[in-house]
Amino acid sequence: MAKGVVLVVDDEAPIRDILSFYLKRAGYQVLTAGHGVEAIAEMARLKPDLIISDLRMPEMSGDELCKRVKSDPATQDVYFIILSALDGTASRIGSLSLGADDMIPKPFHAQEVLAKVDSTFRLIGMQKEIKRQNKELTAFQERVQEEMELAAALQMGLLPKLPGEGPGVRYTHCYLPAAGIGGDIYAVLPLPDGSTAMMIADVSGHGVTAALISAMVKTSFENQVRLGGEPLAWATGMNEDLCRSTLAEQFATAWLGRLDPATNRIRYVAAGHCAPLRIVRGSQGGLQRSEVLRGKGFMLGLDVQLPFMEHDAEFLPGDRLVLYTDGLVEVEREDRTMLEEAGLRRICAELPAGAEDAAAAIIAQTRSFNAPAPFVDDVTLVVLDRRG
Amino acid sequence: MLNIQTRQEGTASVVSIQGKVNFEVTAQLRDVIRETVATAQPKLLVINLEGVSFIDSSGLGLLVAARNSVDKSGGKLHLSCLPAPVKKTFDQTNLTNYFSIFATEQDALRGA
Repeated sequence: MAKGVVLVVDDEAPIRDILSFYLKRAGYQVLTAGHGVEAIAEMARLKPDLIISDLRMPEMSGDELCKRVKSDPATQDVYFIILSALDGTASRIGSLSLGADDMIPKPFHAQEVLAKVDSTFRLIGMQKEIKRQNKELTAFQERVQEEMELAAALQMGLLPKLPGEGPGVRYTHCYLPAAGIGGDIYAVLPLPDGSTAMMIADVSGHGVTAALISAMVKTSFENQVRLGGEPLAWATGMNEDLCRSTLAEQFATAWLGRLDPATNRIRYVAAGHCAPLRIVRGSQGGLQRSEVLRGKGFMLGLDVQLPFMEHDAEFLPGDRLVLYTDGLVEVEREDRTMLEEAGLRRICAELPAGAEDAAAAIIAQTRSFNAPAPFVDDVTLVVLDRRG
Repeated sequence: MLNIQTRQEGTASVVSIQGKVNFEVTAQLRDVIRETVATAQPKLLVINLEGVSFIDSSGLGLLVAARNSVDKSGGKLHLSCLPAPVKKTFDQTNLTNYFSIFATEQDALRGA
C-alpha cells in the first residue's frame, strides 16, 4: 500500500520524471500534471494528500491552482508545496500568503524534496489522527448527551404524576433541575389510615451522582413509610440507609411529614431542610396569613448515630402547604441580596386559588425577583392544598 | 473564587477561608484541607470561616467530611468566627451541635 498520494505539477517533463521516480521509489503513489488545469482534472480522478506545484506554467499558474485548491472545501485540507525558481523572501511570503503550506526553491535536490515530503506526511498523519480522535470525542459526547437526556426523562418519571391527588389533598409541583438532571426529589404517599406521607429532599451536589442518590432517597422513604411508624422513625431509617450507601461528602437535606386529617395536624422532621410554609386557608387563594413549620435537624447521611427530632403543627381543612428546596430562594442578585424565606413569605401572602395557579405565580415572582439570572441551583416547589 | 490561606501554629494548622463556599469551589477547598491534614498531620485543625459570606450544602458536606477524616487520624477540628449567614445555615442543619465552634480563632486554638 502506498504511503500516500502526491500530485506533481510542473510544465517541465524532466522535473516531473525525476520527482516521480524518487517519490515512487520511496513508496508514494504519484500523479502528474503539466499545469493547473490538468492538475484539477487529475484531482477529480483521485484526491491527493499533497500537491507539489511549480509556479510559472501555461494554462493555469501555480498560484492560481493553489488559490483554487485552498478555497474549495473539498480540497482545502490538501497540503500544498510551491516549487519555484523565484528564490526571494518576497516571493516566499507571497506564496505562503496564497495559502500554500510550504515552499521549495529551485534548483533543488531530489533528496531535499523527498525529505520535505516525508516530513509533510508525518504532519498529515498527525492531523488525520487528531481528526479521528476529534470525531471519536464528538461521538462520545453525543452518546453522553443522549444518556443524560434519558436519565433526565427517567428522573422526571420518579416524580409524582400530575395533577397530584391524595385523600383530601390536591397538589402540584414545579421541578427545574439546574443541569438537566438534579438532586431534588419529593414524594406524596397516601397511607391506609387516610393520612398522607410527604417528603422533599435536596441531595448535595449536582448532576448524575446527585440524581442517583435522589432516587435512592425516594426508595428509602417509600420503604420506611411502608414499615409504618412516624416521621421520626422514617428519618432515622433513611439516615441509616444513606450513611450506609453514600460517600463521604454526600448528604441530603430533607423534610418528612405526615398529615393526619383526623387530628388536623402534621407531624414532621426537618433534616436540615428549608422550613415549609403553611398558608392558613390558602387553598381559597387571596390574601392569607402564613406560618413557618420550623424545626432543626441534621441532614440525612451525616452520621448513623445522630438523633432527629419530631415536631408538630396544625393543618386545617382548606390550608395550603408550600414545600421547596433552597434553590428557589438562594439566588444571589447583583446587589448581593437573596429572596430567602422572608421574601418567599411575602410572595405567598397573596396567591391564587388552585395549587397549579399558585405554584405558577410563586415561580413567576421568584424568577422576576432573581432576574436576570433566575435559578442557578436545582429548584423544586410543591404546593399542596387540603380540601376545605 | 475562594481565597484560602493556611499556616501552622505549633502543632495546630489554621485554614482561613474568604468568599462564597459553594459547589464550584469545594474541589479547591477539599484539596487544601486534604493536603494540610496529610502533610502537617495536625493535632488540631482550625478552620476560620470569618470571610465566608455564604455556604451551601456541598460546602457543609465538605466540612463534615473534614471533621470525620481528622477524627479518624486522632485529631480535632475546630471552627471559628462564623458570620451570621453561615451561623444561620449551621443552625438550620443542627451542625452547630456537630462541630466545636468558637467565637475567635484564639479560642479555637486554645480549644477553650
